[in-house]
Amino acid sequence: MAEAEEPLFVGLSDISISQDIPIGGEITIPMRSHTQEFDSSTLNESVRNTIMHDLKAVGKKFMHVLYSRKSNTLLRDWDLWGPLILCVTLALMLQRGTVDGEKDGGPQFAEVFVIVWFGAVTITLNSKLLGGNISFFQSLCVLGYCILPLIVAMMICRLVLLAGPGPVNFMIWLFVVAVMFAWSVIASTAFLADSQPPNHKILAVYPVFQFYFVISWMILTFTPQ
Amino acid sequence: MKQALVDDTEDVSLDFCNEEELAFSKAKIRHPLATFFHLFFRVSAIVVYVCCDWFSRSFVGCFITVLLLLAFDFWSVKNVTGRLMVGLRWWNQIDEDGKSHWIFEARKVSESPTAATEAEARIFWLGLVVCPGIWTAFFFSTLFSLKLKWLALVIAGISLQAANLYGYILCKMGGESDISKVAASFLSQTVFQTASTDDPQKPGLDVLELRQH
Repeated sequence: MAEAEEPLFVGLSDISISQDIPIGGEITIPMRSHTQEFDSSTLNESVRNTIMHDLKAVGKKFMHVLYSRKSNTLLRDWDLWGPLILCVTLALMLQRGTVDGEKDGGPQFAEVFVIVWFGAVTITLNSKLLGGNISFFQSLCVLGYCILPLIVAMMICRLVLLAGPGPVNFMIWLFVVAVMFAWSVIASTAFLADSQPPNHKILAVYPVFQFYFVISWMILTFTPQ
Repeated sequence: MKQALVDDTEDVSLDFCNEEELAFSKAKIRHPLATFFHLFFRVSAIVVYVCCDWFSRSFVGCFITVLLLLAFDFWSVKNVTGRLMVGLRWWNQIDEDGKSHWIFEARKVSESPTAATEAEARIFWLGLVVCPGIWTAFFFSTLFSLKLKWLALVIAGISLQAANLYGYILCKMGGESDISKVAASFLSQTVFQTASTDDPQKPGLDVLELRQH
């Protein structure tokens, strides 16, 4: 057995590694999964923990959209609660019309919903077809959370409207909406553009621009009756 | 006299479990709260959708109520009732390369006192399968009666409930990635079982029944 091994290892002493060759590498450790208590005996305790964990995650993501440009939280721990809440809030605030009977703002409400979700899905499909390596739900999550600045704009606009119509108020309104629109676009492209190859960046970013433009336009043309 | 009957070296079993645990492990439904909520959100979403004209004339209120019920149902079935009632769990994980993985986990059959019972499993699967069917029926009725403003809600309902159904089916299948094989084996088992009720003397059917559990 030793004789059979010797020819294999005979040339080892001749090998030398020069100083110039960098030796390095990466060890990727698979991400630790959410450790929910699988064998928990008390239902209430574990449900409360899960709910608090999810609520905190959603709150953290709102903060990340408003205050920091690039964060991994929005991308890695995606969730669709935030987009749902924001979409419902936006649709509620954009309602117009009388409350009684058929004309209770029904069509506008469903319209906003369809525009937001269908638009987000379309942008995601476009991004994936262009070769982006972001997953479907991650993209929906980012687009949904980045509607937050426009919601803030909507709230400010309603306050401005309470002060009554007039050219000065309208200029304030326009300025606020424009600033928030720019904020939304910049926040979302910071995430989405990175996942695209360089020659497709503009192609991927333009639909996002259009999406937020449509929402801003809906906010700008809002007139309560 | 009694002492003559009972030998000193004979083992006497001492019951260390207390009464509560015994009652818990013998109960037909070990997680009543989870079972209740599993069915509550789904059924109340359907009920509110059907009876919305009686509760209030507002489209928006009804829409938001049904949507929130559907969302809570999705979250509770995915995160809570699945792992408690049938020991299955599925989720999405994104690793450091940005690749997304869907992970399906099934708990091995164990005799621990908190494991799920058959009745719970039956209720779980019944609720999981019947409700998407009902929402599909609503989809067609909405489409053909041209009440298109409800279509968005019905589509949301179908997609949320079908997602849970699909996720749990994949968990249940475990290593089997070919769904046609699983369907074929399930059909053959049910056919043999119905045949066995007619002819109890057929050999080998006990093996099939054991496998199904």
